[in-house]
Amino acid sequence: MHRMLPALFFLGLMTAVPLSAQAKLNLFACEPEWAALARELGGDDVEIFTATTPRQDPHHVRAKPSLIAAMRRADLVICTGASLEVGWLPILLQKAGNANTQPGGAGLLLAAELVPLLEKPVRLDRAEGDIHPEGNPHVHLNPHNIALIAQALTDRLKTVDAANANAYQARFDVFSQKWCDATQRWEQEAAGLKGAAIVVHHKAFSYLLAWLGIQEAGVLEPKPGIPPSASHLEALLQKLTLSPARLIVRTPYDPADASQWLSQKTGAPAIVLPFTVGGDAAGGDLFALFERSIALLKGDGRD
Amino acid sequence: MRIPSFAASAALTLLFSSTAFAASDSDIQAMKAEIQAMRQTYESRIAELESKLSKIESQKPAGQQAAATAPVSARKPARTIRDNSFNPSVGLILNGKYSGFSGDSSEFAGFAIGEEGERGKQGFGIDESEFNFSSNVDDKFYGSVTAAIVREAGEDKIELEEAFIQTLPGMGLPKGMNVKAGRALWTLGYLNEHHSHTDDFADRPLPYRVFLNSAFNDDGVEVSYVLPTNFYSEIGGGGFRGDDTPFGGASGGGFDAWSAFARIGGDIGDNQSWRLGGYTLSGDAGGRAGNGETVNFTGDTSLYAADLRYTWAPTGNPRAQEVMLQGEYFWRSEDGTYEDFAAGTGAAGFDDNARGWYAQGVYKFLPQWRIGYRYSRLITPDVPLGLLGSALDAGGYNPDAHAVMADWTNSEFSRVRLQYNHEELTRGRNDDQILLQYIMSIGAHGAHKY
Repeated sequence: MHRMLPALFFLGLMTAVPLSAQAKLNLFACEPEWAALARELGGDDVEIFTATTPRQDPHHVRAKPSLIAAMRRADLVICTGASLEVGWLPILLQKAGNANTQPGGAGLLLAAELVPLLEKPVRLDRAEGDIHPEGNPHVHLNPHNIALIAQALTDRLKTVDAANANAYQARFDVFSQKWCDATQRWEQEAAGLKGAAIVVHHKAFSYLLAWLGIQEAGVLEPKPGIPPSASHLEALLQKLTLSPARLIVRTPYDPADASQWLSQKTGAPAIVLPFTVGGDAAGGDLFALFERSIALLKGDGRD
Repeated sequence: MRIPSFAASAALTLLFSSTAFAASDSDIQAMKAEIQAMRQTYESRIAELESKLSKIESQKPAGQQAAATAPVSARKPARTIRDNSFNPSVGLILNGKYSGFSGDSSEFAGFAIGEEGERGKQGFGIDESEFNFSSNVDDKFYGSVTAAIVREAGEDKIELEEAFIQTLPGMGLPKGMNVKAGRALWTLGYLNEHHSHTDDFADRPLPYRVFLNSAFNDDGVEVSYVLPTNFYSEIGGGGFRGDDTPFGGASGGGFDAWSAFARIGGDIGDNQSWRLGGYTLSGDAGGRAGNGETVNFTGDTSLYAADLRYTWAPTGNPRAQEVMLQGEYFWRSEDGTYEDFAAGTGAAGFDDNARGWYAQGVYKFLPQWRIGYRYSRLITPDVPLGLLGSALDAGGYNPDAHAVMADWTNSEFSRVRLQYNHEELTRGRNDDQILLQYIMSIGAHGAHKY
């Protein structure tokens, strides 16, 4: 009988677990941009957990114990989708055993499913690097996408937390008006950038460039997710000598060496764009993210 | 107009099925939520597409309008129903290794071990080639099969590593609870539940080779429960047939072995994570063969283990640089009889314990490059008079091994590793080993555990 003891101990523990009641809606955001959007729309009615920091590459995050605990608590999850979190989100969803946040339900919102995706690969082959079958997942850098996703997130908040539906709607109305005005302002401010040529480290800025009509003059990674190689950089340098680029941009998590090498060779400044909310020292909210990105692209406030 | 009518028919179907099953209020709420979510998705998609279309139309000169709209109508979805649309995810692991050894044997002083605990074969050869098929079965179950093709005694054999079903949250179990049944790499220490292709070294550390014959994957059932705490905590336990090392020769009378575990974990700031666990696995060994069937153990065996894993991203981005520290400690207590046929000991009573541990550090200093060091050690039991001179008589010696490795990871799907081992498993018998290994993954490649 002594061998049954572990099992009995286990059963005892199971029945002793207290049931905790949560007053606020628990929202799990995979990336800081969605946490910032949830803060705009949820205000004090939601408790937000952000799974990644702006310094972390959201493709490569571990299914850490802390994330499992947070996923178990979650009432609503907002992630990018389009296979961005394919290396860690499925484990969290499985391990947390939380019926509220399963795929297909109201508790899991994938932003990339709500907007048209760019760069859908024509050829699905891993020889093409770390490609996403659905298309480029970094959708948040186009404010029109944010507007669509804000609408969907508001609907989900109202569904999951019906008691506060009016508050969510009211916050959405304020936010969407402000956002619409800001988007128009940004488009005017950035009008001069149209047609400019910019080199990116990873295809993380495609939506920003497409929105502002900026040309992508080259990518430092030879293929998505494959680090820059000497031969690829050499070829890119040849190309840029013929048609120079205005800037070389990267995210806070991309390594600096390749950008800096190319910057020295070409004279085009290499800069870090915040990429997501909190991605530079100034911090702030979604509005600040776009304001800062446009200012940096225009060359204002750059060191 | 096809989409809204689809939404409406979906809604009707839902309504009818809900009356048919006399659904509860919460069911109705959930369905309303789902309908609402569906409608919103479609409405926003349509709105977006309409705004895009009008934008394009206003921007393009008149001549291009027809060209711009033509592909849209041509792209009408073809309705094809194919038998393989519901095929499971398929993944393959290709694995090869060149091994060079300076010693001529790798016998462990003080232990009789299983075949998979032995060092690999000398020269070039493929390691286990793994096939994995997995899929949700329906709304309540998930299923997965992993089979390895291995070469044993000159023949290619299929070894079923895992074949299990697992509950999905749709099952309605309490939040955080999972039940897994079948054959699986069960929760025990750190490495056991990981497939060996995800290991940081080309071979398993000494305690895994001696106590678990590489891994414990008996047939059984396991329940696990993530507790509702702010930090991560999980408890669980299982019942097993008792056929796999450390057991063997199951009675067939039900569960011959039982396990229990508890784990906690969390973060320290943004860049550090840790997990700590305690495990027990105990049961009856009805006849466990070791050292190529020359040693047999019958009796009670209990294994207690503890593991700790810590990861730190010095720059804040684990993709660029990461430090991973990991250690496990095993304590095995056995009460029964050992018999060494080769030494002709006859059945001799045994009641003692053995211990083993390893500690390792791996440092990713560039996104594609890592180096690591591992030390493992075993503490052998004292043998009774009846077993003096047998394979279990270590003469007071405790085996140990050092391993150093460097690996290059081209992408998530390919890795090449060079490893050097220095093992002294029996007093005075040094074995220097060079291992050169490749691990490649094709097809579906599931997310990895912490």
